[in-house]
Amino acid sequence: MTRTRGIHGWLSALAALALWEIVAQIYPNSFVIAGPLDVLRHMAENTGLLSRAVTATLHNAAWGFLWGNLGAIILSCTVILLPRSERTISLLALTVFCLPLVATGPILRVLYGPGNGPQIALAALAVYYTTYLALVVGLRAIPQNWSDLTRIYGRGRMTELFYIRARASLPYLIAGLQIAAPAAILGAMIGEFTGADRGLGVLTLRAMRSLDVDATWALASLAATVSILVYGIIGWIGRRLVAHPASILMTPPPVQGRENWSRSLGKAVALIALVLVLWHSVMDIFDLNRFFAKRPLDIWRYLTTNDEARSTLRTALTETSALTVPGYLAGLGLGAGLAILLTLVPALSATVLPAAIALRSVPIITTAPLIVLALGRGAAGTIIIVAVMIFFPTLIACLQGLRQTPGQIIDMFDSYAAGRLRLMRWARIPAMLPAFFASARMAIPAAFLAVTTTEWLATGKGIGNLMALTATTSNYNMLWSAIVVVTAAATLAYLVVERIERAILRVYASEQVQG
Amino acid sequence: MKLTRTPTRRSVLSTGAAALGAAAFVRPGLALANTPANLQLSWLHSVQFGGSYIAASNGYWADEGLDVTLTPGGPNAPVEPPVVSGTALVGISAADYTAAAVAEGAPFKIIAVAMQKNPFAIASLAANPVNSPAGLVGKKIGMSTNNTPVLQALCTLNNVDINEIEIVPTQYDAAPLVSGQVDCLLCWATDLPVAMTIQGVDNVTMLMADHGYSVYSQTYIATEDSIANRRAEIVGLLKGEVRGWNDYQKDTDAAAVLTVDMFPDAGLDLEAQKLQAERQLPLMFSDLTAAEGFGWFTEDGIAQNIETLALLGRQVTPALWDRSLLEEVHAV
Repeated sequence: MTRTRGIHGWLSALAALALWEIVAQIYPNSFVIAGPLDVLRHMAENTGLLSRAVTATLHNAAWGFLWGNLGAIILSCTVILLPRSERTISLLALTVFCLPLVATGPILRVLYGPGNGPQIALAALAVYYTTYLALVVGLRAIPQNWSDLTRIYGRGRMTELFYIRARASLPYLIAGLQIAAPAAILGAMIGEFTGADRGLGVLTLRAMRSLDVDATWALASLAATVSILVYGIIGWIGRRLVAHPASILMTPPPVQGRENWSRSLGKAVALIALVLVLWHSVMDIFDLNRFFAKRPLDIWRYLTTNDEARSTLRTALTETSALTVPGYLAGLGLGAGLAILLTLVPALSATVLPAAIALRSVPIITTAPLIVLALGRGAAGTIIIVAVMIFFPTLIACLQGLRQTPGQIIDMFDSYAAGRLRLMRWARIPAMLPAFFASARMAIPAAFLAVTTTEWLATGKGIGNLMALTATTSNYNMLWSAIVVVTAAATLAYLVVERIERAILRVYASEQVQG
Repeated sequence: MKLTRTPTRRSVLSTGAAALGAAAFVRPGLALANTPANLQLSWLHSVQFGGSYIAASNGYWADEGLDVTLTPGGPNAPVEPPVVSGTALVGISAADYTAAAVAEGAPFKIIAVAMQKNPFAIASLAANPVNSPAGLVGKKIGMSTNNTPVLQALCTLNNVDINEIEIVPTQYDAAPLVSGQVDCLLCWATDLPVAMTIQGVDNVTMLMADHGYSVYSQTYIATEDSIANRRAEIVGLLKGEVRGWNDYQKDTDAAAVLTVDMFPDAGLDLEAQKLQAERQLPLMFSDLTAAEGFGWFTEDGIAQNIETLALLGRQVTPALWDRSLLEEVHAV
């Protein structure tokens, strides 16, 4: 079994390489893609340079990975210990995750000065949110009777967190870390765009501008290979740690409480006030110059006195939303669909997963020209770029969710000789739902980031274009206005997804919606 | 001098000239006596800043009692925030960027001009060349939409209707031109065309500065506050720059070699750096700089800049420029 699986893996890897070479041959003089042979030659000729770059980027990615995931663990434990804080913490985490690179990059560079600070910070920012969401779901995935048992022994929430919840959350934590690995590497590379001496990101920029496709693709392959390795190592550790099959989580459905509208409104106002106060005071504490670090009042003044700016922003938001919604749904569908396919036909994993990790860990500036060349700059090309940028967390979270199908239930389906499709439909997909919704929430800010990046790289429209304009026009008022608008839109989308999620999970995974 | 990396033995040994400056770096005791100052570059390390590297490695800044750090830029590293914040004493910007920043409230002055001629160009393939602004009509041009005002200004200056040019938003990359997606590119004459030539792609560049586009580029900017309170340091920094760039003018190949040696991790290709170094020479040096010295600018030049900037939607006055520091530099 393992033997054939291994041969299968090698065969599909070879097939993928052959396919890659063929695609490279289709566009021979496009200067957009290089085949595996050219890539290998480039690697062999530049071993020293490339290994120094990999070391530099990995070093930053590793620190970012550590800090980001530590942050996620602290945030998610807080949410479990103080369930009332969940909404606030989740939305604050979302807000920070919505901050685009054009805004955070220069600020981090000013704060840290020359060195690795911004690269590490951006790698940490790239990972904390997905791990946090995955972990909150995992920490809740415990059978009711276990927590009853802790109570009977007179132990409190802390004991429950460390002895029961932490164990139950392991598979989710592993999935979170697997999602985080390529994200941290990509974050560190993009961090190098804020001005760095060395690293894979620096070399990628240089290679693209020098029309050196062999180098560009060698760098992309390196980033992808390293990501696949880290992903595999985390998965291997995960399989050592989580040997037991998932158990049935029997939790009684929660009592349907009526939402008090005036109270929710009050909470929303308080939350907005908190975000604004934090925004203002963080910038004041770090004494960031108002020229580029605009405060809430600056933006208020700018938007209330400037009709033209408002209408520019409105037009841009419309253009961006028109792409974000289909891109979001495409990415989510692609991720969940692939996860289901891979569970039904596990042999495909050896080909699909490495490709997925590769797509996730290669900067979009490398892949976008190829997608644009193949599909053009129209809606199709753009939506595919967006879907490619966001499907990965959904794929990994859903794969992990599908594996959470309780062993007893799988045994029962087996003993009735129910087919794989039935098992999928009636047992696995319901078990996947909590992870799926966590990934649906992860994908919201990711979709906005993806669309704004695509607008900057390929279409030259929308909010992404407005943000990119700051680089030449110093129009930081517009940049921060755009951030406010995107964050507000993402928060709204988050609340909508959360509402749908609660309605569905009440039925399928009520342990997730207690309290 | 101080760089953010330790020089390798090779870089110390290879250029005799580099040895002096590198020795100062290896013994931090010497460097400590000097006042630290940060020069924010506008892009990743390359021979684009060759004169600064010569100044660093020959100890021209140490002569002025300065310990200058050269901070690389990048696609997400605008020059203006660190200069406004005081993290960088001086930044390398361009007149149009500076004008925009000043309109947004940044207290900048342009204190010296490295590129007398703007490096923006229209690059096309030799088989389908664009040799004049009129030749743009009916063509597809690949560019960042950020630069639409630049193209608009060129069109206005040369009576071309911009609506007859098809703008295709692309990354800053020559691939769309080489693969035939567009007919020409709006880019710097010193980077993408150099890359194409090195890759063996025959290409033609039309420098916009030769068709009325007068915007000083690679300009040195500082805040009014720094000019008032750290004047001696800025003058010292400019002195080092002037000496470095004068050396550069004498031997651009040596500047390229030094750049590649100083930044072995930057993935620079020596031949490409040599070609780039040579191509940027006519943009930086002219009869004017021969007479008055590197970095010089005149009232006439300012007046032409003000005209072109107006076409870019920027209303500026001669008060944006301050030549007094440069006058001190060249007076000695």
